[in-house]
Amino acid sequence: MKNTLKVQRAIHNLTQEDLAKRIGVSRQTINAMELSKYVPSTVLALKLARVFEQKVEDIFTLEEDD
Amino acid sequence: MKTRYLFPHKYKILGWILLVPSLVLGVLFILADTEVFVLDATVFALYDDGIFEAAKAFKLIENNISDELVAITAIVGGLLAAFSREKDEDEYISQIRLESLLWATYINYGFLLFSVVFIYGLAFYQVLLLNMLTLLLIFLIRFNFILYRSSKAAFA
Repeated sequence: MKNTLKVQRAIHNLTQEDLAKRIGVSRQTINAMELSKYVPSTVLALKLARVFEQKVEDIFTLEEDD
Repeated sequence: MKTRYLFPHKYKILGWILLVPSLVLGVLFILADTEVFVLDATVFALYDDGIFEAAKAFKLIENNISDELVAITAIVGGLLAAFSREKDEDEYISQIRLESLLWATYINYGFLLFSVVFIYGLAFYQVLLLNMLTLLLIFLIRFNFILYRSSKAAFA
């Protein structure tokens, strides 16, 4: 699964730390998601979508091998 | 995040305070092979197979409890240090936690299998003594290393 977190974060002018605080996770988690090393839970994906005021599908997209 | 089966975050530091000194003492006990300090007490023994005397069961016995104290402190400290919540414990950290525990279990039993095959005599008894804590220690090293590495990466 790929995501546009880094782009979205830049658009909203948030640091990893800011975003982590907004959705109540560790900075490590934001970083791991941006590096596609971690696939977030549905709850976390929905929280991210809410912060960015986007649909989940606009942030996360499936890849061939998913 | 709500977590199950973890201690509150504040016990983590207490865990380390108990673990580190008792580890140092424990290693001293094993290396020195003599009593580093003696603390005789009367204790209740479910079973005591005396080496130079008859075995006893359900009896009060005299025993130097220094090693018992060190073992209890190390185990309790180890559990608290390993299984207290991180300050910002979330789903990713929980995943690292579980993976580290699995990883530590494999390494620990690998180490034990190796010792079963290659270590003999009383030295094997010392391996078993160390084995009381190796699972927790390997877990602590791996878990904290990964956390540290991903926090470094997060700053970059």
